[in-house]
Amino acid sequence: MAERIRYKNIDEIPDVALSTGTTRVLKTGSWRNVKPVIENKAAPCLKACPLGTKIPHYFYWIIEKDLEKAADVLLERNPFPAITGRVCPAFCQIGCNRKRFDERISIRELERYVGDYIIKRGYKIKELPSDTGKRIAVIGSGPAGMAVAYFLRRYGHSVTIFERESKPGGVLRYGIPSYRLPKDILDKEFEMLLNMGIKIETNKELGKDVYLDELRQKFDAVFIGIGAWVEKRMRMEGEENLLSGVHFLKDVNEGKETSKFKGKKVAVIGAGNVAMDVVRTLKRIGAEPCILYRRTEKEMPALEEEREKAKADGIPFHFLTLPIKAENRNGKILLTNQKMKLGEPDKSGRRRPIPIEGSEFQEEYDFVIKAIGEEADRKILPEEYLGEDGWPYADKKTGATKVEGVFAGGDFIQGPSTVVEAEAWAQRAARSIDRFLKGEDINVKEIPPRTVSFMLIRTEYFDKAPAIHPQELSVEERIKSFEEEVKTFSEEMALKEAKRCFSCGYCNSCGNCYVYCPDMSILWKDGKPVVDYDFCKGCGVCASECPRGIIQMVSEI
Amino acid sequence: MGDLKTKKGIKKVLYGNHAVSYGVKVSRAQVISAYPITPQTQVVELLSEMVGKGELDATFVNVESEHSAMAVCIGASITGVRTFTATSAQGLLLMHELLHWAAGDRLPIVMAVINRAVAAPWSIWSDQNDSLSQRDTGWMKIYCESNQEVLDSVILAYKVSEKVFLPSMLVLDAFILSHTAEPVEVPAQEEVDEFLPPLELPHALTPEKPYAIGAVVMPDGPYMELRYKIQKAMEKAIPEIEKACNEFYELFGRKWEFVEEFMMDDADVVLITSGAVSSTVKYTVNEIRKREGKKIGVLRMRILRPFHFEKIRKILSGRKKVIVLDRNISFGLGGIFFNEIRSSLYSVSEKPILLGYIWGLGGRDITPKDVEGVIKDAEKREKDEDIIFWGLKKENINL
Repeated sequence: MAERIRYKNIDEIPDVALSTGTTRVLKTGSWRNVKPVIENKAAPCLKACPLGTKIPHYFYWIIEKDLEKAADVLLERNPFPAITGRVCPAFCQIGCNRKRFDERISIRELERYVGDYIIKRGYKIKELPSDTGKRIAVIGSGPAGMAVAYFLRRYGHSVTIFERESKPGGVLRYGIPSYRLPKDILDKEFEMLLNMGIKIETNKELGKDVYLDELRQKFDAVFIGIGAWVEKRMRMEGEENLLSGVHFLKDVNEGKETSKFKGKKVAVIGAGNVAMDVVRTLKRIGAEPCILYRRTEKEMPALEEEREKAKADGIPFHFLTLPIKAENRNGKILLTNQKMKLGEPDKSGRRRPIPIEGSEFQEEYDFVIKAIGEEADRKILPEEYLGEDGWPYADKKTGATKVEGVFAGGDFIQGPSTVVEAEAWAQRAARSIDRFLKGEDINVKEIPPRTVSFMLIRTEYFDKAPAIHPQELSVEERIKSFEEEVKTFSEEMALKEAKRCFSCGYCNSCGNCYVYCPDMSILWKDGKPVVDYDFCKGCGVCASECPRGIIQMVSEI
Repeated sequence: MGDLKTKKGIKKVLYGNHAVSYGVKVSRAQVISAYPITPQTQVVELLSEMVGKGELDATFVNVESEHSAMAVCIGASITGVRTFTATSAQGLLLMHELLHWAAGDRLPIVMAVINRAVAAPWSIWSDQNDSLSQRDTGWMKIYCESNQEVLDSVILAYKVSEKVFLPSMLVLDAFILSHTAEPVEVPAQEEVDEFLPPLELPHALTPEKPYAIGAVVMPDGPYMELRYKIQKAMEKAIPEIEKACNEFYELFGRKWEFVEEFMMDDADVVLITSGAVSSTVKYTVNEIRKREGKKIGVLRMRILRPFHFEKIRKILSGRKKVIVLDRNISFGLGGIFFNEIRSSLYSVSEKPILLGYIWGLGGRDITPKDVEGVIKDAEKREKDEDIIFWGLKKENINL
């Protein structure tokens, strides 16, 4: 305590009651019964992303114009941002809190912006851990295989990928058309895997060139991610007269001759994402494609974005139309179609198509391509790998098969799905493999992070601003070639869009708590707020003025 | 009006409210914080424009209440910058706690109060009860009659406040002054700068000299001594006000004093007024003198705190009848000015007959007819009467 002052006379007393020493001896923190806790939480986008990409966190570095740091944060959880930044359905954007304020953030475009930066600067991962001496064989180099290899390498293990085709990439190379994902982007991502020390052996097909038992002996663990490439059967008369959608896409992607389709009338059966890729590819090689689908637009399994682009490309959709017979008439296909109507919902929740008696009609096409869905090759693995339903089985949380040391995932297990979901499976599997190799229990109990809801956002701190959308080729331009139709954000666009982000749950050092604390009990250390509990009285102003739900008041009683 | 020698200023036709704003502008206030309330809003509206346009180099702080407005002024003033706020009625009452704080911290804040009747029931029109309810907060109080006086008093208020380190409240009538335009001379900036140097607050809080202000003082600590010092500062303010008014007259040619005496030299009967209604009273008294030759004069109270007992005593001593006209009331006691005048006359040997009139509450109109009525009514009275409600519609109420 300060010493007591004795005044000689009244004039010596100052006009105002001023302290003579510091008041810091008075630890007012003892008055408190609730305390503010500063803690980052999960943004809804982060929670919606199967990979758990730390979205607001790397946006922070975009705004700071430190793309190196943005890349580090992004690559921690998201192995191929230049790919997912192009083809991801962006579950994150669906969850975005900002959509309740004005419009969701163009998260995918920002991911792509950083992804392209990473490609431009040369793909590298800082500080790979030292080699553990463990070796893992990965079968298949599609999204699941690539991602599992990536994550395993980051754990410090050695990885060898075995790929059936002459080039790696799986569905990314042979399925997705290059107007959505240019091949050079894919090649660059593989360069990165090679730079990390991952080996790739191509033209090695499981069951022909490599065998599971052999790999199990040579390697400490095996991951199978060979995708779903078997076209489902329609069980219609003359099905052998139809072409396969996935094979068609593979041929085009391999650069095979496509002139036979030029100017030809082509029917595509199905309305999923593969069907959309097939019709849009056909359009670009000069064919006249159309869609035949037994339900209506509402039941279409394709992503809305893909459906809308196909419609904009000028492709006719014939709904409630089911081909029931295909006859080869002098090289042309005569399809017999039946008109359908919608009945009660089936187990998928979509209304079941019911044939209308006597509604059959015929139509002649040059080619008919079926794209009604693919499935895994169920004969490729021996019985001990199959589940009760007869399909190859792996645990959803760990990726472990029933056989010790063998893991599997991606479309091969979960059926045709998105790139990001395959990568997310791989992320979980890689962690399990790492734990398995260390002799730890692979079952990890995960506590889901707390999410910041829209209610916790102080919207008064934000100005309304519409989302920035990427530049795109016009429909007239894009249907003429395989040029990538969506462009990457410019720096200006990226900055503007990243700044729209509420940064839900991630402290971006806005300083509101520091400014508003009436007791100067928010300290600023290394660019971040820290509560000075010696003096904080627990008034809660910091918590109520935090625009992004990072500060919570916690009872101390 | 005195000898207009320099005249570098320019004439403008200004509302009373805007006269306040111009006064603040030429006084170079550095922090302005206010919350809108009728009839004050125009004051800070114009100031915010001045700040927005860069004509006034000040920080304008929007707040959510008058309590916060005064808190901002206190916080800013402690750092040694010139601060300003303005309010009316309920807004002033919400500030109440902090008015004591501003005075106790000895901060030279200047505030304009546009006198407005206090609710309930709601009223937005002129009466003095809002400002007078803050009588004992330790603020100096100036009651103005004209828009020119309003503008000049802002400058004078800063001058005196910054000498004695007490806050000043500048009071003008709702609508009668606030929303009425009059020709006003806005003094030239360089002249005001000469008159009003930058604030130097001895106890200014700076990062180099941190301290806590106004913390607890024990009963045997200097609380009572600090109160004594506020009283001494009020007493010191009397010569400082006189000095400042003289200096102001020298520079600008306009004489503002503690009180204004009108036709007082030979007056037997004195009407005591304050605020804008004084003009009506002076006009009527002049008419009656011309018409009937009655020896009536007017004493306009300009500064209520500090209260200049000596001067009032001197002026009123030996008069036959003193009529105090209050546009306010302390319930259970009477007119507030009346009681202050009465207490000042206690030691006078020959006491005049004292009559207290309450009129014009809630903005009820006061016309020359009312003034004549009061004078006629007072002529009939030969003994003191504390509370006479004038203009009360007691019979056949038809409002």
